[in-house]
Amino acid sequence: MKLFGPREKELRMSKPLVFVGMSGGVDSSVATMLLVQQGYKVVGVYMKNWSKDLPGMKCPWAEDLADAKRVAVKLGIPFEVWDFEKEYFEKVVEYMLSEFRAGRTPNPDIMCNQEIKFKLFFEKAMERGADFIATGHYARTKDGQLMRAVDENKDQTYFLYRMPEEALKKTIFPIGEMKKPEVKKLAEENGLHNAYKKESMGVCFVGEVGMKDFLKEYIDLKPGEIRRVEDEKVLGYHEGAVFYTIGQRHGLYLNGVRGEINDGLPYYVVKKDIEQNIVYVSKNLNDENLWTDELELKDIVIRKFEQFPKQVSVRLRHRAPLVPAKFDGSKLYFENKIKRPAAGQSAVIYADEIVLGGGIIV
Amino acid sequence: MIYLDHAAATPVSKKVFEASGPYFLEEFFNPSSPYLPAKKVSKEYEEAKNVIARAIGAKGSDLVITAGATEANNLAMAGVSGGVLYLTTEHDSVRRVAEQYGGEAIKVLPSGLIDMEDLRGKITDETELISVSLVNNEIGVIQPIAEIGALVREVRMDRLRRGVKRQILLHSDASQALNLLDVNVARLGVDLLTLNAAKVYGPKGVGALYVSHEVRLNPLTVGGGQENGLRSGTENVPGVIGFAKAVSLAKEHLNGNRKKYAEFKKVFLDELQGYELPVKKHMLDNFVVLCYNGIDAERLVFLLEEKGVYVATGAACAASKGVRSHVLAAIGLTDSEIAGSLRISFGETNTKEQIIEAARIINEVVRAERERVAHE
Repeated sequence: MKLFGPREKELRMSKPLVFVGMSGGVDSSVATMLLVQQGYKVVGVYMKNWSKDLPGMKCPWAEDLADAKRVAVKLGIPFEVWDFEKEYFEKVVEYMLSEFRAGRTPNPDIMCNQEIKFKLFFEKAMERGADFIATGHYARTKDGQLMRAVDENKDQTYFLYRMPEEALKKTIFPIGEMKKPEVKKLAEENGLHNAYKKESMGVCFVGEVGMKDFLKEYIDLKPGEIRRVEDEKVLGYHEGAVFYTIGQRHGLYLNGVRGEINDGLPYYVVKKDIEQNIVYVSKNLNDENLWTDELELKDIVIRKFEQFPKQVSVRLRHRAPLVPAKFDGSKLYFENKIKRPAAGQSAVIYADEIVLGGGIIV
Repeated sequence: MIYLDHAAATPVSKKVFEASGPYFLEEFFNPSSPYLPAKKVSKEYEEAKNVIARAIGAKGSDLVITAGATEANNLAMAGVSGGVLYLTTEHDSVRRVAEQYGGEAIKVLPSGLIDMEDLRGKITDETELISVSLVNNEIGVIQPIAEIGALVREVRMDRLRRGVKRQILLHSDASQALNLLDVNVARLGVDLLTLNAAKVYGPKGVGALYVSHEVRLNPLTVGGGQENGLRSGTENVPGVIGFAKAVSLAKEHLNGNRKKYAEFKKVFLDELQGYELPVKKHMLDNFVVLCYNGIDAERLVFLLEEKGVYVATGAACAASKGVRSHVLAAIGLTDSEIAGSLRISFGETNTKEQIIEAARIINEVVRAERERVAHE
């Protein structure tokens, strides 16, 4: 197995210092172990970004921290807790809330990587004399470029495309060359596998299912109508247009229309009018609102590359297949129509394995 | 495995398990049902409550069975309309509730004992409830409840003399104490007392609140009117049968237990090296608090776990919230001393050989950790 970082010979002479972000999960645990095995001087750090319990949602931070610490102790490395709660709220949560309020669907994980993990964490590590930082992300770097992970199913570059350039140069992704089953196996073989731990999903602190409940803590409910896009007929009511996302089909309270036969097919959210607080739905999967062959981007990040290729690949969701497109610097043009992603989500642009950049969908 | 965390949980003793068993399987009836087998269960349930109550010098009808000590502590304060005073080192199930009632904390002395002067100074005519646990769950300090009880009686007499209408009550959480101390409501002078089966080799999720005749509480759970209307819900028959058995066993072995744990403590401390004892006196016999200043005790917990020795850094529920111990802070320990403190609690799973072995392993792990820190 080939791994990045200085060669062994050099290592024996001077041990580079690495601060590794440990979440308590299997990926960052194995990443940490690999760094130790490769001879780095390693300091494990738990980033405390969120600790508040919400009604019905217990924040697992203390258990995660204990899991991370157990691994650090097992590996015999120092372990610290860095508190970024205030910054996380200001840079990630407030951004997220303001995006939702504006009717968009932001991705807080991307913002967390940009503002916290690869900025504040990176800066603090550098102040502490680090040579590198490391995380348990599935991604690779090569010659200062961010590259897709070997495990295509787990590749996390979608979340990383906005990571600052300075951090990228100094970041090690120890498991980027591995596939998830190998990581799990290594963890089991080395007694790092936490058999009782669920894998965390989606937004680090609420999980995908909890997002609406989370938002309700901060955004007042504002009941409004759900209308059918084709004929403006009121089919039901919602708790606030901002809580709904284009393409969503769950959590809609629909009564149907008297006299119409219920064919059992689901309605999808196809359009939102935030000003009028109306959610439009349709059963027609071919509804023009759901499809597009171009996307305009803002807050574009373009990474250094020698020549921007005419033909690029684009990922519109984490783990979604890459789709071919052309990019003119602000707009993406797709060969085939694509399902329109919600505004506020990211489009990440690739040239083969290299992450060229991306932007926020307008 | 050497388990040294009996203050967090105890195994259900075999006799308790055997006593409960039939009430899961054959004697499963709802005590409120009218037919004879159910009546029999109802009678046995009441008899079990009597056994528990007699152990603390009370009657079965004085007990409200709850789903553990936390609920009992919550119930103890339900209905209070005046001021609440609580010891600053109380468990969260008292502290958090007391805070809801605008409670005020009473200080402790560096020994961990209640500061009686502070208590005296804080009692006003508005004070309605004072809550002080018999034994602290983190440091094992035994509070002079009888002395507080006497003070409460004095205040009560004085109020009556002056025509002050508000009552004053004393509540004590005796969860940790039942198998090592004489717990008697009259001798302690308490009006409310919390008991917990899970800390005395009984089942988890079963507790009780002793409520004297003077006290009027508001139920937190309403419904069928069980437990004198203070805690509705079908009776936990197997749990209470088991609780009664656990209490009987605790009483039976009280003196033997004390002797045994006092000896454990002696051989343990004789074998251990390089520690400090932040709490030395007025402790339950099975508690030891060890402080290794300059070392992160949480790391010790994991290192010891790998060697099959299970210890704690504080209350299990506080540790899982990642907060530093408010108890150790209250007795004046510095942050670094708090970080270096381990809680050891012996119990029935232990033998003397185990205790000596555990001390040796702790010595070894502490030595290795000190070396690692020195090279960091």
